[in-house]
Amino acid sequence: MTLRITIDIYSGRPNPVVDLRGRETRDVLERLRPGRRLKRAEITPLPPSTLGYRGLTIEQVGPLTRGLPRSFRVANGDLFGPNLAHRAADPDVEEFICGSTGPLRRLRLGRDFSLILMREIVRLREIRLRYQWRHQPWPQRDKCRCAPLYEPEWWNVPQRQPHNNCYNYGTNCRTDTFAQPGQAAGAMYTWPLSCASVRPAAVADELIDNPAANNRCPKEGHLVALVVWPNGDFHWYRKGRNGLWSHKPGGTPVTNVDNSGNPIPDPRTADRGPYTQFCTFMVVMHGHIKIQ
Amino acid sequence: MVTSRSSRPASQWIVGVRVFSGRPDPTWEPNPGVVAALLATWEQLEPAHGVPPAPPPLGYGGSFLRDPDGREWSAYAGMVTLRDDSRSVWRGDPDRQFERALLASAPPGLLPTDLGPGAPLVRAK
Repeated sequence: MTLRITIDIYSGRPNPVVDLRGRETRDVLERLRPGRRLKRAEITPLPPSTLGYRGLTIEQVGPLTRGLPRSFRVANGDLFGPNLAHRAADPDVEEFICGSTGPLRRLRLGRDFSLILMREIVRLREIRLRYQWRHQPWPQRDKCRCAPLYEPEWWNVPQRQPHNNCYNYGTNCRTDTFAQPGQAAGAMYTWPLSCASVRPAAVADELIDNPAANNRCPKEGHLVALVVWPNGDFHWYRKGRNGLWSHKPGGTPVTNVDNSGNPIPDPRTADRGPYTQFCTFMVVMHGHIKIQ
Repeated sequence: MVTSRSSRPASQWIVGVRVFSGRPDPTWEPNPGVVAALLATWEQLEPAHGVPPAPPPLGYGGSFLRDPDGREWSAYAGMVTLRDDSRSVWRGDPDRQFERALLASAPPGLLPTDLGPGAPLVRAK
C-alpha cells in the first residue's frame, strides 16, 4: 500500500510529493487515524488561496484504510475530506512528516526547507484563527476596459517625451515624430486651423469621428477628444480605464490634470487654456490607425 | 504659418516659444542685433532667488534663446533662467523686457495673433 503525500505550499513551482510504503505508511496512517470529531466552532476552513503552506494532501493508492477516504487534507492536525472533519490521532502529524527526521527527508529538499516548512505550519495555524471569512467586495470594475493604461512614467522619459505630442499620446501610438493629423495619409490639416480642418485629417488617419459619444466609452477601442485653439493649434485628450481623462501637452510630460490642476472627468468642461473650441469625440480602434 | 522643431544646425542662435501641444513649437533665427540686445538685457538683470512658477499644461509656457553651444535663456513669469550643462542661474525680469524682446523678434505671422508682446498669454498666472 502506498501513501502519496503532497506538501501544498508552492504557487509557481510544483509542490513536493513523497510516496510512503511499508512500515512508514502504517506509521503515518496510525498518526492520521481520525480522533474526536471537530466541534462546529473548531471547523475553521482552510483559506482557499493563501500563499505559502496550505496543508498536506494525502492520497491512498491501493486498498483503503478503514475510516479514511481516498483523498483528504491535513492542516494543523485537523483532517478534512468526505465525511471527515476530525482531529488526527497525532495532532503533530505534519511536524512528524515534514520534520528533518520524517519521511520528507528522502526528497533531499534541504535543512532550510524543513525549517521554513515548520514555520509555515505555525503560520497557517495563525491564519486560520484570524482569517476573515466575510465577503470581500470586488473593486469597482473599470469603466473603460479597452482604454489604454495611464502610465506617465513610460512616456515621461527623455527618449520619448520630447518626440511625442498630444496626438501620439491620445492615440497611444509612439512614433517619435511629433505626429500630425493627416500626415501619414497625405491629408494634413489645412489653414486656417480649426475643428473643420483637423477633424477630417484625423479621420484620414482612420480615427472614427463620434460626436455623439457624449463622454461614454466605446465597446471597442478607446475614446479621444479633439479641441482647438482657433488658428493656433490642436490638442487631444484620451479617456482612461477609470473614466478620467489624461493628456500630453506637446513635448511636456503626460498629465491627468487640467490648467487649473483639477482631474478631468470631461474635457468639454476642463480648463483648456487657449484651446477654447471643443470639436468632437473620436474612437481609436487599436491597430487600425496610422499616424506619422 | 511656418514652424520648426529646431532641427537647425547647432551653429546658430535660436529663439523659440513653448506654446503648442499638437503642432511643433515655433522657432526662428534671430538677427545678430537682437542677440546682442538680449545679452545686454541679461547683463542688466538682477540676480533672483527661487525658481519661476511652473507654466500651465496648455498654452503659453515661456520663450527661450539658445546659443550655438547649447546654453539656453528661458523667460517666463518675470524671471529669466540661464541653463548650461552644469548649472542654472536665475535673474529677475519684472518688466519682462527679455521675454518681450524674444517675442518681438519673431518673423511676422509666425506666432498666433494672441501671443504678441503684451498679449494676455504672456502674463503668467
